[in-house]
Amino acid sequence: MVAINPETLRKLRRFRAIRRGYVSFLIFAGLLLLSLFGELLVGSRALIVSYQGEWHFPTYTAFHPGTNFGLPYSYETNYRELAERFREADQGDWVLLPPVPYNPFESHAAGDVYKPEPPSLATKHFLGTDTTSRDILARLLYGTRIALFFALAFMASVYLIGIAIGCAMGYFGGLFDLLFQRFIEIWSNVPFLYMVIIVFSVVPATFSVPVRIGVLLTVMVLFSWTAMTYYMRTETYKEKARDYTAAARLIGASNTRIIFRHILPNAMSTLVTFMPFTVVSAIAAITSLDFLGFGLPPPTPSLGELLKQGTATLRTAPWIVGAAFGTLVVLLTLVTFIGEAVRESFDPKKFTIYQ
Amino acid sequence: MRLWPAAATAICAMLLFGCSEEPAAPAPAAATPTKADEEAIAAYYAAQPAFFGFKTLADLPPDLTWQNGAELPDIGSPDAVKGGTEYGAIQDFPRTLRTVGPDSNGSFRPWLLDDTAMSLAHRHPDAFAPYPGLAEAWAVSPADKTVYVRLDPAARWSDGVPITADDFLYAFYFFQSPHIIAPWYNNWYTTQYVNITKYDDHTLSVTVPEAKPDMDIRVLGLGPRPRHFYGVLDEDFVTRYQWQFAPTTGAYVVREEDIRKGRSIALTRNEAWWAKDKKFWRNRFNADRIVLSVVRDTAKRFEAFKRGDLDFFGLNLAEYWYEKLPHEDADVQAGYIHKATFYNQRPRPTFGLWLNTSRALLDDRNVRVGINHATNWQLVIEKFFRSDYRRMRTSSDGYGPFSHPTLTARPYDIDAALAAFAEAGFRERGPDGILVDAAGRRLSFTLSTGYEALKDILTILKEEAARAGLDFRIEVLDSTAGWKKVQEKKHDIHFSAFGVALEMYPRFWETYHSVNAYDQAFLEDGSVNPERQPKTQTNNLEVLALPEMDRMIDAYRGSGDADEMRSLAHAMTALHHEHASFVPGYVQGFYRVGHWRWVRFPAGFNHRHSSGAGQQFVHWLDVQAKAETQEAKKSGRTWPPSIRVFDQFRSADA
Repeated sequence: MVAINPETLRKLRRFRAIRRGYVSFLIFAGLLLLSLFGELLVGSRALIVSYQGEWHFPTYTAFHPGTNFGLPYSYETNYRELAERFREADQGDWVLLPPVPYNPFESHAAGDVYKPEPPSLATKHFLGTDTTSRDILARLLYGTRIALFFALAFMASVYLIGIAIGCAMGYFGGLFDLLFQRFIEIWSNVPFLYMVIIVFSVVPATFSVPVRIGVLLTVMVLFSWTAMTYYMRTETYKEKARDYTAAARLIGASNTRIIFRHILPNAMSTLVTFMPFTVVSAIAAITSLDFLGFGLPPPTPSLGELLKQGTATLRTAPWIVGAAFGTLVVLLTLVTFIGEAVRESFDPKKFTIYQ
Repeated sequence: MRLWPAAATAICAMLLFGCSEEPAAPAPAAATPTKADEEAIAAYYAAQPAFFGFKTLADLPPDLTWQNGAELPDIGSPDAVKGGTEYGAIQDFPRTLRTVGPDSNGSFRPWLLDDTAMSLAHRHPDAFAPYPGLAEAWAVSPADKTVYVRLDPAARWSDGVPITADDFLYAFYFFQSPHIIAPWYNNWYTTQYVNITKYDDHTLSVTVPEAKPDMDIRVLGLGPRPRHFYGVLDEDFVTRYQWQFAPTTGAYVVREEDIRKGRSIALTRNEAWWAKDKKFWRNRFNADRIVLSVVRDTAKRFEAFKRGDLDFFGLNLAEYWYEKLPHEDADVQAGYIHKATFYNQRPRPTFGLWLNTSRALLDDRNVRVGINHATNWQLVIEKFFRSDYRRMRTSSDGYGPFSHPTLTARPYDIDAALAAFAEAGFRERGPDGILVDAAGRRLSFTLSTGYEALKDILTILKEEAARAGLDFRIEVLDSTAGWKKVQEKKHDIHFSAFGVALEMYPRFWETYHSVNAYDQAFLEDGSVNPERQPKTQTNNLEVLALPEMDRMIDAYRGSGDADEMRSLAHAMTALHHEHASFVPGYVQGFYRVGHWRWVRFPAGFNHRHSSGAGQQFVHWLDVQAKAETQEAKKSGRTWPPSIRVFDQFRSADA
């Protein structure tokens, strides 16, 4: 267990005191947690099926063919129809469906044809359906979940690389620093979005969706880690010149110890303030990539794809763009509020007086 | 019909070119051929005396029956007036202004060649019989497999140079040349014709290897090439002519100042066009200018149309016809925008799934049969196309007696699909419901397409296929990348279509002959070559190689007997169906458009065999009505709405 030093504790307390940021953080964390259990809220698989006295929990298990519940087909059970059937048969069997009983992939047309339907409580399409009659809430939830975890993974990777290289540059300095700086200058001049588009367009579609998401992540990280190194490098240079570092070195502390015990904790505040903004940019990046058609392969639910559909049907189905745009605004606002609060509470000027 | 569009081997039915703003190749103006050029071309002719003949008028057979199609009705409306600027949109800027060679077979080519240029004669869009273009008269002699042609002495290139028999001889020199980098043309112009003879500057004859039932149009569909423009071809042909507009026989020219790379390109009507008063040409090609801007996104194109920036918009997709521009739309109700549905008759583009049989698993017929049964086109037609379209029966529908009379596509049938997959070893469903075989392989294929606007179809098919234990991984590419992928045979399953020319009988060689499937499909003893590699840049998208099919195709190509060809066509269609390497999709028996009221059409809207509202160029622009409408949009003046259905040519299965 890492012991939180009193300095950090004070910063956290200060963060809590900034109401707007703190509440945003709570909402954001709540959403994140909620989306983890999204299948229980939004999905076509039943939560519980009571069939012939036996209980089944299909949500997280392998698929149940229709034959498991006395239906004449071997493909995945349609639980909405099953519920209907049980109700009509009235033999004590029952099905508990999630509040939104649709998965993000299936077309479920209220009418005869696939077209966008406005939000309706009766059909349980609470945010309406998209152009092929798929539930927007379902697509939104799973799309947002992918975007969020993508952004978090992106942030973690960028920081890992950025901190490691930046720290090394600052700490060792000299030729290593010189060469890496030049390399980074060149590398960071490669236009990020174009590179992602080019690289991702040659990734074969034979890869499964998770692998493709992984590739997208790798490519994005590959072209985004540079920004972090410069902050880290300056921080390290600064801390390295401080007396306490010199003292540590004098009493024979190893490089590892100095970096991890002395420099990193002190450079932390700079890093922490950047985190939320990295998340924002990652969400924006993956959304715009999807919007441009270079992101996740269809039919993966995504905010960008929904936005694209929405802008194409602005006149005929405003609820599509409304839902996607609203989600994006809420999400990015929350993260930005958190970011502002973090920045404010970690601001060293609050606690240090330079002379 | 002309030959090169037919050659459109590969006109993919939709838009096919890519975005590139490559720097213009250094383009020295093409000069008049020098004496050395003349000699080199003459030497080429001299080296093939059997192919290139030179005779005198006295050598013409005396008993020829000349015809000139004069009895056919006019095309277009006598009410048409010339003038105005038509505004259109293209999805992507053309990659080249050449009409042959790499990247030339894109969706801009119809503007340069297929829909605008003149050949000797064309199929009449109502009567099917030929009407004259560059020819003044022609005589068909099945006995010696030759068509004799008298050129119209008035015929001129757009730069004013007379069109003579030499330009037709030169066309063969041109299309046989390896420097144009167009193997299809090389093959067609060496195997489908055996002789061209010049009698005088305006008389020539062309001989075909077999007296096919449509041998007249095979010859009359030939067009000339401007010998004075190209001269001797060399290996720089492709780059030198990349952005040069060659003199044309048609009504529209592209001026250099109208090529704004990546943004727009404009066609300008040639005031001095030699055919402007000719019977079949006088009421067409009416707009003075046609400005085509690049608008990549379909939704944006629609908005531009709705603003009045574009004159036409194709409303074939249900989403646009019923929702984005419904009959109740204010602009429609005010009579500003007219809606029209026109039922036509012609072979249909082959929308369907093309299965690459050289791929693992797809080489198993059982898997292919299963895929056929697991593909729910019926649902797509009912729910996505709102029952406006019909299911395609075979890959060669719409050729009258040459189409198979009874075959139908395999219906969506989960049990049949599961049985077929079980036959191939896929018996168990994995935890996600997708079938796996004993070796643990999942029954999963990439389903790619270059039709971004139709990607929803693929997601519907994916969901339905999953019920039959089949997984489609969807890959939506832009049109150029999609086409490149299938041309390189890198696809598993591709959703695409070939544009089909108006012809008497279907073609099989391009899509089903083994020479277009593999570099060397079979060894000399007739067995399968174990080291064969799929052949790229051909239209055999199924990589289909069957010795039996080859035999029938060769017999079909060599046959001059309509009955024999008919039964061969049926047998080949049946064999193809049996092979199950194609999942027939849907056919659309009509086209429908929205157009602003200043765009005028003839009383019957269009012609029986037309493939689109603009294809025959029979519409015209009413400049006054345009000003009037723009004024009316401000003042609120309205006209009665115009929503019309033209079903005079509706066929029973449309």
